[in-house]
Amino acid sequence: MENGLNMTDTLVAKQSIKTTCCYCGVGCGVVASVEQGQLTAVQGDQSHPANLGRLCIKGSSLHQTQESPDRLLRPSVNGKETDWDGAIGYVAESFKKIIAEHGPDAVAFYLSGQLLTEDYYVANKIMKGFIGSANIDTNSRLCMASAVVAHKRAFGGDLVPGCYEDLEQADALFLVGSNTAYAHPVVYQRIAKAKGTRPDMSVVVLDPRRTATCELADWHLPLRPGSDAHFFNGLLAYLVRIKRIDHDYIAHHCEGFDEALATAESVGNVAAVAKVCDVPVEHVQAVFDLFARTEKVVTVFSQGINQSSSGVDKGNAIINCHLATAKIGKVGACPFSITGQPNAMGGREVGGLANQLAAHMSFTSQKEIDRVAQYWQAPNMAQNEGLKAVDMFKAIKTGKIKAVWIMATNPVVSMPDANNVKDALQACELVVVSECVADTDTAKMADVLLPATTWGEKNGTVTNSERCISLQKGFLSAPGDALHDWQIMVRFARHMGWQEAFSYSHPVEIFREHARLSGLENDPGSSGREGVQERGFNIGALQAISEFDYQNFEPLQWPVTAANPRGTKRLFSDGRFFTPSEKAQFIPVQARLPMVTPNQWQVIMNTGRIRDQWHTMSRTGTASKLMGHIDEPYIDVHPLDIEHFGLQQGQLGLLANRGAVFYGRIKASMDQRRGEVFVPMHWNDKYAASSRADALVNDVVDPICGQPEFKHSPVTMEAFVQAWNGFLICMDDIVPSAQYWAKITLDRGYKFRLAGNVLPEDWRSWLSEPFQDIDEWTDLNDSDRQFYRAVGYRGGIVTVILSIAADETAPQEVRWIEQQLGQQVDVNARFALVAGAPGAGVEDEGSIVCSCFEVGDKAIAAAIATGCTSARALGERLRCGTNCGSCIPELNALIRQGQTLDCLAESGQS
Amino acid sequence: MKKTSLVIIGNGMATGRLLDELSKRDLSAYSITVIGDEAHGCYNRIMLSPVLAGEVTPSAIINKPSEWYQRAGIRFISGARVQKIDPGQKRVMTEQGDTFAFDELIVATGSRPVAIPAGNQQLSHIYSFRTLDDVERIMASAYSALGGSFEPNRLKQVNAVVIGGGLLGLEAAYGLAQKGLAVTLVHRGDWLLNRQLDKPAAALLEKVMREKGVSFQLGCEVVRFDGVKDVRGVELSNGDRLACCLAVIATGITPNKELGLAAGLKGERGIAVDEYMRTSDPSISAVGECIEFNGVTFGLVEPIWQQCITLADRLALQKLTPFCNSPVATKLKVSGVQLFSAGDYLTAPAHRELTYSDSATGVYRKILIKNGQIAGVVLFGDVRDGQEYFEMMHAQRSVIEVVQSLLLGKAFYQSELAAIAA
Repeated sequence: MENGLNMTDTLVAKQSIKTTCCYCGVGCGVVASVEQGQLTAVQGDQSHPANLGRLCIKGSSLHQTQESPDRLLRPSVNGKETDWDGAIGYVAESFKKIIAEHGPDAVAFYLSGQLLTEDYYVANKIMKGFIGSANIDTNSRLCMASAVVAHKRAFGGDLVPGCYEDLEQADALFLVGSNTAYAHPVVYQRIAKAKGTRPDMSVVVLDPRRTATCELADWHLPLRPGSDAHFFNGLLAYLVRIKRIDHDYIAHHCEGFDEALATAESVGNVAAVAKVCDVPVEHVQAVFDLFARTEKVVTVFSQGINQSSSGVDKGNAIINCHLATAKIGKVGACPFSITGQPNAMGGREVGGLANQLAAHMSFTSQKEIDRVAQYWQAPNMAQNEGLKAVDMFKAIKTGKIKAVWIMATNPVVSMPDANNVKDALQACELVVVSECVADTDTAKMADVLLPATTWGEKNGTVTNSERCISLQKGFLSAPGDALHDWQIMVRFARHMGWQEAFSYSHPVEIFREHARLSGLENDPGSSGREGVQERGFNIGALQAISEFDYQNFEPLQWPVTAANPRGTKRLFSDGRFFTPSEKAQFIPVQARLPMVTPNQWQVIMNTGRIRDQWHTMSRTGTASKLMGHIDEPYIDVHPLDIEHFGLQQGQLGLLANRGAVFYGRIKASMDQRRGEVFVPMHWNDKYAASSRADALVNDVVDPICGQPEFKHSPVTMEAFVQAWNGFLICMDDIVPSAQYWAKITLDRGYKFRLAGNVLPEDWRSWLSEPFQDIDEWTDLNDSDRQFYRAVGYRGGIVTVILSIAADETAPQEVRWIEQQLGQQVDVNARFALVAGAPGAGVEDEGSIVCSCFEVGDKAIAAAIATGCTSARALGERLRCGTNCGSCIPELNALIRQGQTLDCLAESGQS
Repeated sequence: MKKTSLVIIGNGMATGRLLDELSKRDLSAYSITVIGDEAHGCYNRIMLSPVLAGEVTPSAIINKPSEWYQRAGIRFISGARVQKIDPGQKRVMTEQGDTFAFDELIVATGSRPVAIPAGNQQLSHIYSFRTLDDVERIMASAYSALGGSFEPNRLKQVNAVVIGGGLLGLEAAYGLAQKGLAVTLVHRGDWLLNRQLDKPAAALLEKVMREKGVSFQLGCEVVRFDGVKDVRGVELSNGDRLACCLAVIATGITPNKELGLAAGLKGERGIAVDEYMRTSDPSISAVGECIEFNGVTFGLVEPIWQQCITLADRLALQKLTPFCNSPVATKLKVSGVQLFSAGDYLTAPAHRELTYSDSATGVYRKILIKNGQIAGVVLFGDVRDGQEYFEMMHAQRSVIEVVQSLLLGKAFYQSELAAIAA
């Protein structure tokens, strides 16, 4: 019973199981309905503090993404399937050999914020205590590293002061570089609800883009990219000038204020701040005043701050303002770093990063190194920090690291300069990949592939952005030979000869060990005694948790100590910090703009999430519902830049940098600043021919934390000169032969958008290559080659539909045609399929805005035209926005658009 | 008042239609005599193939039985062949020696199968495929090959050769194959219906016919028939020999102009008529497949119907409705498959060619575009909107805007037009 649930029970009965969502850092509680061993439905857990019953579209589609057609089921070595002993034996022997010849720093682990805390703990213990290297890093480096260091510098520990409730309680909420509407939809809904109840609550968004989050904002300041530290330095100086700082608090609870202020003042007055941030001075003034006069201020910051070459400093610039005004440790007042991943926090807690040790201890203290070594009975304790993500992959490329084990992440897509990462893995002697999906871009690089369990199958804890630990529960049996990540590593450890230290048979045993370490020599108030430093992360009270209590884990916010056995909502309420002096530290921040600046032919590429996709799409990409909102990589461009670069709305554009190319549909967007474009970060080689945004990102990192500057890459932009374009709808997952393609998952089968710069010799042969088993074709051919249409049938079933146009006009796509795939159709429909339209009488819904109820923009526009002028009215009419609510910002935007057009129409008539 | 005596020579489809047109107008001024050389009343010759196939009975295709003539007050002389027209005396004489006087004479003698240059055509069991009698003789011959026993299921042992891959030959072959005979069709052209179809359409037709049991020898001719008394086989220009105990020659038709020309009427390929169907003799008209109009002869029903209207207007209403030989589309049904062909049917370099093909249902459609207008149409298997295309072609309408859905028919190109308008 390794995951602690009786599988035979789940097979017979219908059960409701409480678990935690596997997507973003909000960490919502989910109630999963399981029937006959199948996940049949999910709903929000009313009792979970993070979401109180809400779920976003990704979360509410969990059951639709559970069945993955390309699950990895068997271990394999060099492309040959083998058993676990064979595979792990091979990995262990290879590691042993490489370590013996080149030392422990010649191997590395690259982990993921998707791993559970227990998985993380085992990996960290193996690498740092037994292999003897700290070459263990994680994709959390890509999203959280800046905040971690900012926290540590200011608070003496990686500590998020507040909780989600504070966001609702604040009177002024600053959202900085954070598109919560898309990236943390449930938190966004909580804010929206709070603002609905208390309209006086002010919301300020600082973001170069006008994101969906701005729908809620009283103020949106589209800052010059990367000028955030200037803004907050300016704010600090301003607060001092207008005497709105808390001298008392600074004197009793902080250090380093004068130096920090001196540095901050160098930014200049409000006008100077407005100039460098490139926003109107009145707006800066108003927002500064808002911060100054409001007691309860929460500043939420996310990737817009973190993914920067000066992310740590930006974080501290924000924290400085909160410390100076004592807006911390109080209800509705704190700086709040919101994490991207479900368990980035858990990874940080176990210390699963190259520059951390374990349980919030660090390599800077020999005492801590020795403590951990002793606790682990570690034969080979690492003494120094290891290589952080970007440097790790560089070391792989240069051959310094000869073996890398990648778990539950897709660095070939997600790392900056991702093509170099690909090359590095190609060159690497041994690449081990533990994955649940068989064919991610990274899995394709693996020498050894190890099948891991995924959400719903694995059992263990995660921590969300508000330090809340909850359980992700296993309630489905593992497919094929798949094992839990901790089990895989335990097998590895045993092959390495460390069986005693890794004798776990259930995750609760790992959790207890982790909990005990967190409480080891960490009594409250112990700082300063005998060189001991008290750590904020302490769940020592859980070190003896029973298996039953673990299996029914009630969400708890750490610290969880004897004094606070039910956890802790807010930190620092007593004004004590976890520094040696127990005082918070002001950090002098020298504000810096991004490292690489664009030349006159370049634009600045910003990257980020879209609402319905998660990371590299290996899970969300399999649900058609989640593709309905945005189904193709795109480039948001300011309309004047569209003109300037000679582009056209809707055509394909290409961005290039570092020899890598990103293809995307050009979308005119007034939400962009001039000279700046936005692209989604999700697409990868499995879903598009060449649309990996991160391949264009320079490998520029923050010098302190090593986090890459994903938000600011100068790239060239031009139109893709196409000779043809079109779409292909088919039952089979293929790789089309075209310069551009993007794959869209349908309810049944796939749709590919295609474009190329050279017409294939003959479409029929182009089709017969990937579709050899089609027995009948219908086609419409033009000798001028202006268009081509074909439909392929297998056993009378519509299996392939191709429509090509040889000019810029894209062939008409209607949802009706997608629904014909897999159907047996009559003679009339055979004509219609080739026509690409059902003929008269069938209404097309347009592109889907509300994914929950599949309501399209055409229906919405029609409803708006007939008097629905609020999102609520639309919801009553069409149901859109009434389930997960993620589309409400867009509904509002559509309403606004409708009204604008109305006024234009009127002025046109007058 | 004495009625005008109107004599019609021939009782084929043109006469049938003419009588209908006259009835619709006014017959009262005429006493009508129809002289036909077949035994039956007027029948639908197009349906010979289903009769041969045994799908319909001969009586089912006769649309004017003897009683019809009776009821209409028309004297119907069947089984009589007119030997001579005497325009001076205004009378005609039959081979049987009967004489009929006329005030107005209409020659509607139709056409006959064209002869082929093959040797030994005098052998028995070589037939044409033109009349109900032909059908009867062919079947009798098939059974006689089986020794005269009526055993339909043994007909597959009977080898038949059909000569001619035009419409008539295909229909004969289809009928025989349906009956169960082992049929080989010999055609001089490289593909079937090479005057109406392009090669891809013909290939589909060939496939359909093969499925019905017809074999083909294309691109060759019959050089001679083998046999002593009865035909026993054919020798082909490509050197092949085919055994057969029955041959049908259906290579085309030629106008039965001789009777009229012998009477001094003008004409070369047929009996020449003007746009009101008048021959060179003011009291003699001609109509149907026997005529020649502006140097053109006719083989399809549509223009002949127009001729009948012109003639009926003039005779019954004294109204002059000029016959205009507008181009026609070929609309055929071969072997149960609908065909449509109009205008250019072979793709030339100047054409923009649009094709639709469906290998499963055997549908093939082609439109040829020249200067943005339809220059030709070939539809096979699914002929929807053929007439629309035909009209667009003659109206010289630009079709460029709807070029993508044009071939799929009105239902689709009209919505494309609507979309453009919107």
